[in-house]
Parts: sequence; structure tokens; C-alpha cells
Amino acid sequence: MPLHLGEFEQLVLLALLRLDREGYGVTVQAELARHGSRQVSLGTVYKTLLRLESKGLVAARVGEPTPERGGRRKKHYAVTAAGRHALTRSLSALRRLSRGLDPSWEAP
Amino acid sequence: MSRGDWLGHLIPQSEREFALGDLEEAYGRGSRVRYSVELLRAALAIRLQLRRTTPALPLTVSHPDGPMTRLIQDLRYALRTLARSPGFTALALLTLTLGIGATTAIFSVVNPILFQPLPYPGGDRIMMLWEKDKEGAESNTGYQTFLDVQRMAASVEAAAAMSGWQPTIQSEGDSERLQGQRVTQDFFKVLGARPALGRDFSAAENVRGQHRVIILSHGLWQRRFGGDPSVIGKPVTLDGTEYTVVGVLAGSFESLLSPRSQLWAPLGYEPSLPWACRTCRHLRAVARTREGVTVEAASWELNLISGRIVAEHPTEYSTTGMFVVPLATQLTRGVRPALLAVLGAVGFVLLIACANVSSLLLGRAMQREGEFAIRGALGAGRGRVVRQLLTESVLLSVIGGALGVTLAWWGVKGLVALGPGTLPRLSALGIDWTVLGFTGGLSVVTGLLFGVVPALATARPDLFTALKPGGRHTGMRSRRRMRAVLVAGEVALALMLLVGAGLLLRSLDKLLAVNPGFDAQGLATMEVQTTGVAYAEEPRVREFFERALLAVRAVPGVESAGWTSMLPLGGNFDRYGVQIEGKLLSNPEDAPSADRFAVSPGYLESMRIPLIRGRVIGEPDGAKAPPVVLINETFAKLGWPSEDPLGKRVQMGGADQPWREIVGIVGDVRSEGLDLALPPQVYLPAVQWQFADASMVLAARTRGDPSGLIPAIQSAIRSVDARLPILQATTMEEVLSGTARPRRFVFVLFQVFAVVALLLAAAGIYGVLAGSVTERTREIGIRSALGASRGGLLKLVVRQGLLLTGAGMVVGIVGALLLSRFLDGLLFGVGGNDPRTFISVVLLLTAVAAVACWAPARRATRVSPLEALRSD
Repeated sequence: MPLHLGEFEQLVLLALLRLDREGYGVTVQAELARHGSRQVSLGTVYKTLLRLESKGLVAARVGEPTPERGGRRKKHYAVTAAGRHALTRSLSALRRLSRGLDPSWEAP
Repeated sequence: MSRGDWLGHLIPQSEREFALGDLEEAYGRGSRVRYSVELLRAALAIRLQLRRTTPALPLTVSHPDGPMTRLIQDLRYALRTLARSPGFTALALLTLTLGIGATTAIFSVVNPILFQPLPYPGGDRIMMLWEKDKEGAESNTGYQTFLDVQRMAASVEAAAAMSGWQPTIQSEGDSERLQGQRVTQDFFKVLGARPALGRDFSAAENVRGQHRVIILSHGLWQRRFGGDPSVIGKPVTLDGTEYTVVGVLAGSFESLLSPRSQLWAPLGYEPSLPWACRTCRHLRAVARTREGVTVEAASWELNLISGRIVAEHPTEYSTTGMFVVPLATQLTRGVRPALLAVLGAVGFVLLIACANVSSLLLGRAMQREGEFAIRGALGAGRGRVVRQLLTESVLLSVIGGALGVTLAWWGVKGLVALGPGTLPRLSALGIDWTVLGFTGGLSVVTGLLFGVVPALATARPDLFTALKPGGRHTGMRSRRRMRAVLVAGEVALALMLLVGAGLLLRSLDKLLAVNPGFDAQGLATMEVQTTGVAYAEEPRVREFFERALLAVRAVPGVESAGWTSMLPLGGNFDRYGVQIEGKLLSNPEDAPSADRFAVSPGYLESMRIPLIRGRVIGEPDGAKAPPVVLINETFAKLGWPSEDPLGKRVQMGGADQPWREIVGIVGDVRSEGLDLALPPQVYLPAVQWQFADASMVLAARTRGDPSGLIPAIQSAIRSVDARLPILQATTMEEVLSGTARPRRFVFVLFQVFAVVALLLAAAGIYGVLAGSVTERTREIGIRSALGASRGGLLKLVVRQGLLLTGAGMVVGIVGALLLSRFLDGLLFGVGGNDPRTFISVVLLLTAVAAVACWAPARRATRVSPLEALRSD
């Protein structure tokens, strides 16, 4: 059964791709703020990351502790193959649907 | 964790470290509030998300969680289960609240009185010190005897003699009579107390002339002196004499030796004073024994000392012997049997409550059989199920306990209001940590007690039968038998309580039916105390009482009135040895003693004390007239068993006193208590007595309701002197019923407990029968299909109920016969095995049981055979 992505899920997946191997709670939140014009709470980020994880679209690994985190480890997320596939399908659907409309609607 | 240490635990453990790290990284340098808000949002989001995505917890029986998690799980499940059957829960809680609440209330009253140590350091070494009287009972002591003992007794560390003192304090036209004590200088040392402000009495202040100093109680200091510390060294006028305040006691000081005392002054006696003699036995003595000295050793030494004193002064003692009684024992002696009886009674109520809830749980267990069978089938061990059930019952009883404490909070107030004024340490009563601890422990024990039988009975389901449709009746018979035993036990306990209540009721009736020897109806009474410099001379005192009597007699509605030095049943006694002419005893101490009533003309008539022979005291019996006396019947029989006492002469108050001619014999009056023996009594004209009593009690016979006339009588007395305190203005009927107060206290409690017990037992019977009718629906249906009549079915159920009740009653009667001797001290005019009481109780219980049987029996007759056979 193909998975459909919600809009915020798409944004989080894109942020993770942009962050490459540096994607975890705080960086995802910052990336969404900087490039996605979304001011969201960490809670919202976690909710989505956990949902994507449970769907198998992202995978987590435990990273290294850093001093500014009070010596706590990070939980890094990376987009899985299934995640990439789902994102591609979503984005191409968007692209197809917006094609031929007013140029300003065209995806970049 | 640098911040939000405990808040962090709100985040599920699997995500906690990473999320807290993120929060620290993102908000760690910002405001603490922001950090906490973000943390809460994150915790909530993660929780919601995990709950949605994690598959439901597998139905495994064993899991790796710790015992704490399992307990929380059990508690949650128990709460849900209880919430699912609100009817059962409410009934069980109500029962437990009553049981635990009543027990808590009684315990909080009994605990400080019977079980807590005295509020004095080394309180177990404080002893009352008594002379032995002719009957071997405790008797007060005289000052010289006290001095001898103080000097000679090696087992005593410190001793003090004390005497009651009711000074009137006067300041700016406002006078008030106070309760106090006069004591020798070591009094506070004996108690181990020191004034919080100022100092203790010095040895010098025990000397006559230097004894005009006082120590105030904290309460009096606050009330009368506004808590002003500069009161030390200030003068205070008491009875027209100036005293100096030298000390103030701490607020925590409890005056157990004289509960209403507010101030203390040195006794100020000297051996040469007439009232310091050896036969002037009006002092109580208290001592602190040395460390390690037993009560027996101290008494032994005192006996020895007493022997030496008596050998030196043979005519001043009637018998040899002195002894000590620990103060704690002394204080509680009067109330101990009553309190223990009440404690026992409430214990019964609690047991009945337990049995009832236990029976309810058993009934419910039958309905929950399927549930436990499924749990068993899924692999739940017996221990696991038992634990779950016990968690439920303890939870129930702990909630019941919490509600019970609330109930007890109110109950204690009622108890104190109802309690006999003689309860010691009333101020210490209340709900405190000891009581809360007791209730907490009691709740858990109770929960285990009523939970364990049903839990064990439920936790061994026969899976096969239980899961079979229509076959949910495993262990039904044994459980029903268990319920029956429980309910029969309830009936037995209820019967014992009812018997107790019944015996006490009969005692109360008998007591109030005792003829006091006077007619209490229509009598008003009040005490007037002459005090101050104006009454320093006796003629003034006598003149006041004469004029006041004339004023009272002039009040419209007053038929007659008279003064007496002592009111019957007023809680006082004033006893003198009486020498009989022609039977003079070499040791005057061996003479019979009689209660002295110094009365005015009109007293005997107003009280309607019957004149048996001779005449009463009249106006001609003045100060200068020949001295006369009246005696009561008891004295007449005792002193002149074969002669006519009229015309004979007696002497009282010492060898220097005149011989008084007996001119009349009057009826006996119960002066000390309705339930106490009748002492010899002597009435003499007050004006012919050697001194004028400073305080007299008025008895005024009125037309109509005496309480309505009290204000008019008071203002008549005030018209003679408005400054004198008038005390205890009341009706004689009030005085009379007051004497039954301690008994009424125990009776009311027994009555309440017995009613609760009866209701609980009835509920128990009802529950068992209703359950049994439900279970036997099929059987009843078949019977009715086979032609059983309505009456037959009724009989079937009622017989079961009455058998249950009967068995319980037999056990209860045996128990009541065994236990009623503990009530002996509280009974009056009725034996512990009074057949009338037992028969009434059995009839009452049978009637109540029949009512409890009625509803289930009716239901049995309405069972339709068709439905019954279809029902499974």
C-alpha cells in the first residue's frame, strides 16, 4: 500500500535531506524556520519524526554527546529508501498537478 | 540534568535523553519558563505520538516491569473495576467509612487518656500519696502527716501537698471567681514543670506571711492580663488581699491534678495552725519517687513510716497505712472501664463492617468468575490474581479510611460535647498524627482482613467449568457457605452489642428511677460565695445570707427557700466524725462519720425531704438557743440500733464543741451519687455551727418552671450585694440528670454502635439471601414448575435466612454472657445476664432478620418457571 505524505511530513523529509547526516530535533526545527518559513515547536518536530520513523520512512541512529547539550546524545534521523521514494512520489504529484497553471504556481 | 530535573521524567524514557539534549541545545540559554513550556509541549507530543504508533501492550502475564510499576498497574485496574460497579463500591465504602470512622473517633478519645504517657517529664514516677482509711480506701492527709512523710521517705524525691482554692479576683469593679490550688513549694518540681516566665515558688514563700505570691496559667495570663510579660512582680487583688505575680506557666502545661486550675499560690501552713492538724485531712499529696523505686517499694516504705507516726500519735489515726498510686492510673481509674468498653464495642462494629464487605466481595467474586477464568487461561498465576484482588480491597479500605477520618473529625467534637465532664485530658483530644497513623494502619489491616477470604476463594477457578456457557458456578457452594458464616458472625457480634446497649439502657432507667430522697421537680438552685474584705468578719456573712434569703422569698413565684452548706449530688462532701453521748470512744478517729449539712430554716421543707419523726429546724433555733441536730434514717439505725435516738445527744467537730440534741429524724438523701451507698447525714442550724460557711447553696421551690425564675432569684440576691459571684444557677432536675452523664455517655455510644451493627447485619443477611435466590433461580423455577406453592417458596428462603440468624444468635448469646462482665462496673440494678434484656434483643434481631429476608423471598416467588429454565 503506497504511503501518502502530509505536507509537514514532506517538509521534514526535505529538511532531513538538506541536513544530510546532521539531522536531529534542533537542526530540523532550525532548518524549517530558516528555509521553510515555519516556526514550530520541538514537540511538533518530534511528533512528525516519530510518525515517519514508525512508517519506516526515516531511520534513527544514536550520535555523540556534546557539551552544549548537557552531555546528552543526539538522535540522528536519516531518510530511508522508502522515505525517498515516498517523497519523490509526493513531489512529482505536486509537480504534475501544478504543470500548465499560472507560471507562478509552477514548482521551482 | 541541569534544569527541569523532575519535569524531564514526563518525557517517555525511550526519547528522554535525546529530547532533553535538544531542549538544552535550543533553549538552555534562554528563560527557564520558555524551556519548561517547550519541554511540556515536547513531552505531550511524544506521548501522544507513541501511544498512537505503538501496538497495544501484548496480553502477556509476565513482564519485565518492577514491582512499583506492577503496583501502579494493579491500582489503576482496581480503580477502573471499582468505578465500573458504582453501587457495590458505594455500599462497601459507606460500610467502611462508618466502621473506620467510628473506630478512629473512639481511638482518638481513648488514646491520650489511656495509652499516652502523662505530659510531664518522667511522668511514670509521679504518684498520688494517700493515707489508708478504715476501709482500706484512699484518704486525704493532714499537713503534719505530710511533713513527716516528706522528711522521712527516702523513696520520694520530692513531694507536695495541695488544696483547692477558689479566690475571687477583683479589678476595676469587675470580679470573677477563679479555680486554683494552694500547694507546697515543690509542687511544680514534682510535676517536672517550670514557669515559662518568672520563677517557681521559693522555700521561703511556703512560710506563713510570705505566701502571698501566685503563678498564673498561660490561659489566665492571656485572658486577664493580655499576655503582658511585665506582669511579673505586679500586684493582683484576690479576695481583698494583695498577691504578687512571680511566674507564668507555659501554654503547654496541662494541669491534670486540678483540670480547671488557673493559678497557684503557696499553701502557707504552719504546724501550729488549727487546720494543719493530723486529723485535718483535707490535703491531697503528690510525690515524685526516686529513679528505680517501684510502686510497691514506695508503698512499703510509706507503710513503715505510717506505723511510726501512728505509734507516736495513737489518738489521731483510726488505722495505720499509707500507699502511692501512679498518677496515670489514678486519673484514668474512673473512666477506664467505660472507655475500654466503648473501644471494644467499636471494635465489634469494625469487625462487622469487615465481615459485611467481605461478604459483598464474595458475592461479587461470583459475578467476576469469567474474568478470572480468562486471566487464568491467559496464564495469570494464582498469586497474581490474589494480589490484584487484595489491591482492590486495600484500595477500598484506604478510601474508606480517608472518608472515615473526615467522619471522625466531626465525631470527636460530638464525643467531647457528650463526654462526662470527668474525662481527663479533654484538651488533648483530637485528630493528630498518632490517630492518622492508627487509621492508616487500620485501613490497610482492614483491607487485608476482609479481602483475603474472597481473594483466596476466587483465585482458584476451575477454568473448564467457568468458561463453559451457563456453567459459571465453580466453587459456588463453598463460597456461599463462607458468606453464610460471615453473616452469622455479624449477627453474633450485633447481638452482643445490642445486649450491651440493652443492659446499659436498663441501668440508666433504674438509676434515674432511684428516689434521691428529695423532690427535684420545681427546684431552682445556685451557689453564692461571700468573698472579700467586706465579709472578713463572720457576722457580716451570716447577715448577708439572712437578708438574701428574705429577698429570695419575696420573689413572686417562689414558694419557699433555704440555704444549705452543701447541695446533694453537687459533687461535694463535708464529713465529720460524730461522737455519741454515752458511747464515747477513746480514739475519736474511730467515731462514725456523717455528712454535715448546715442549713437555714426552710431548707428541708423546700427540698421536701420527708420528716420521719420529731420536728424540723425552725426560726427559734437561733445562735443562742440550745444546739439541736437532725439525723437521717441510716444514721439512726447505725447509731441507735435498739433505742430511740430522739432526745439523745451527739458531738461533732472536736471535743470543744457543744453536745447537740437530736430533735428529728429525716429521710435519707442520695447526696453523693444515685448509685452510691447512703452515708449517715446530719442537719444542723447554720447559725449554731462553729463558723459561718463562706459559701452556701440556695434551694428555692417555685410554682411552675423553676428555670424561668432563676434570673429573678439572682437579681434578688444581687439586690443585697451585687458584687458576689453566683455560681451554678440551674434547676435541681438538671443536677439530677447530670449525675447520670457518664453512664449516658457510654450508653449513647453503645446505642449508636448497636444500631449500626444491626443495620449492617441486616444488610448482610439481605445480601446473602438475594445472592442465593439469584443463583438458585433455576432450582426455584423447577420447584415452581413442579407445583411448589408461593408459601412453600417463601418458606424456603425465609428458613435459610432465619437459620443463619439463629446460628449467629446462639454464638452471640454465649459471647454476650462471657463478655457482659466487662460491663459490670457500668451496670446498675441489673445483672450481666439479665434475661429480659436477652429476650428483647433476640426478638428484635429476629424481627429485623425477618424483614431482611422478606424482599429476597418475595423475589423467589415471582420467578417465572419458563424464564428460569431458559436463563442459562
